[in-house]
Amino acid sequence: MKFISYKLGADGGETWGLVREDGVVDLGARGPHGTMRDAIAAGDLMSLGEAGMSGDPDTVLPDVTFLPVITNPDKILCAGLNYKDHVTETANTLPAELQLFMRSTNTLVGHCGEMERPKVSDNYDFEGELTAIIGKGGRHISEADALDHVAGYTIFIDGSVRDYQKHSVTAGKNFYKSGPLGPWMVSADEIPDPATMELTTRLNGEVVQHSTTDMLIFSVPYIIAYISRFTPLEPGDVIATGTPSGVGARRNPPLWMKAGDRIEVEFSKIGTLWADVVDE
Amino acid sequence: MQFVSYIGASGATWGLVVGDGVVDLGARGPHGSLKAAIAAGDLMDIGAAAQSESPDAALADIAYLPTIPDPEQIFCAGKNYKDHVEEMGFEMPDHLTLFIKANSTLVPHQGQMIRPKVSECLDFEGEICAVIGRETRHVSEAEALDCIAGYTIMVDGSVRDFQKHSVTAGKNFVATGPLGPVMTTADEIPDPSTLHVTTRLNGDVVQDCSANMLIFDIPYIISYLSKITPLQPGDVVATGSPAGSGAGREPLLWMKGGDKLEVEVPRIGTLAVDIVDET
Repeated sequence: MKFISYKLGADGGETWGLVREDGVVDLGARGPHGTMRDAIAAGDLMSLGEAGMSGDPDTVLPDVTFLPVITNPDKILCAGLNYKDHVTETANTLPAELQLFMRSTNTLVGHCGEMERPKVSDNYDFEGELTAIIGKGGRHISEADALDHVAGYTIFIDGSVRDYQKHSVTAGKNFYKSGPLGPWMVSADEIPDPATMELTTRLNGEVVQHSTTDMLIFSVPYIIAYISRFTPLEPGDVIATGTPSGVGARRNPPLWMKAGDRIEVEFSKIGTLWADVVDE
Repeated sequence: MQFVSYIGASGATWGLVVGDGVVDLGARGPHGSLKAAIAAGDLMDIGAAAQSESPDAALADIAYLPTIPDPEQIFCAGKNYKDHVEEMGFEMPDHLTLFIKANSTLVPHQGQMIRPKVSECLDFEGEICAVIGRETRHVSEAEALDCIAGYTIMVDGSVRDFQKHSVTAGKNFVATGPLGPVMTTADEIPDPSTLHVTTRLNGDVVQDCSANMLIFDIPYIISYLSKITPLQPGDVVATGSPAGSGAGREPLLWMKGGDKLEVEVPRIGTLAVDIVDET
């Protein structure tokens, strides 16, 4: 099942729902949970989704304004340097341990939204990423149990301001509205093995990244187990798993995104997330 | 004025420190939290009006909450005191280094800081923190201090072996970031570079330094952050820690269950916590 967070038109109230072939069922309106995160936390997501399969849809997909899949995560944790090919292109030696950074919620942008190229830098780069949404929280989760804690998967563009990233990863990765998240979350039952997915990033229609998730250095179960060693994972937490080779910074000449560009990331079994780049 | 977040008779609230008591401002309304009052721009007026009220509780009796229990963002400067950079063997930075702490790291004054199961390397870092007073975007250094509501204290608890994997991992262990005891409003601290930090572990002074030793000062940090993102009322900005941390000592000094840690910053107060082992 596919779940989205959205509003109706540009000014409607925020809600969430089930995406069906014939439209969208407003699960926020049906209650009892006003957000997807609340439904996940209550353990009600799948049963509400099942119930939403019957009856008429409330709206059609073209009429919704997408919000970031999880609008209000407790935390957003991202793996860096986690594809073998990307590590090779950035001339780093393979990391001995997972590297993490955090993003602030206000970096998030919805599907079909606008990513802001900042005033203070031209070095605006794309990174397409597989992203897990935590379903069942927990601490000290084993790798063997880790996938049981995933509610579903979505797509993230980890927009990166490369000159600021040289100051600190956190600075380069936290520019306002630099992180599209969507279009929807596909429930984990449809993706039993996240290591079998294929990723394609396109900038203005041209393929700039293409890889498969079996290239991850640290797997989704490893990342979840590692994070849970230091903090309790919460339902709705967003975990981005890193990006493969092809980023703009490693091209000669470098390829930076600019206003008017359209960036698109497609994952098999999920769909396609896109955003337009605008100047701040 | 000093404001505190705490647990009142009917749950989480906030108030004004008056003498050795606290006036419950959450109960008086209209704002249920210190962050909400800051965001509404009402903080100073509400505080001034409450000066003559009689306290609802003695400070000695309240259960503190982190100064801002629910900030939208917690940004921290790393490697920002010259003496700390030297003791850690880092190169003197050309640029400010930032990381984020999750809200789940926060611990209140008189609370318990958790030493994790997975590491023995829990280190202390006493820090001055600015609390943002209004939405702040592209602010100049000259105007940056005007965007600060007040100052508080953080212990930037650091798990040094995980920090070698990534700064974010080492700085985000649950319940390793005490924040408190109170926020002193910015009008009482017109120049934060005159603040002084003293950290004591089990009564022994382990850090003792003035904020004029910051490599990147508070106006610089606020201005820099505001180029990246709109800072929000109640955002917490920790400014880095001076020399003396346990990782820079020979032999290494790690905190353990039963230890008592205190960070004192005159004009703000003393933030005190107990270290407990994760169960």
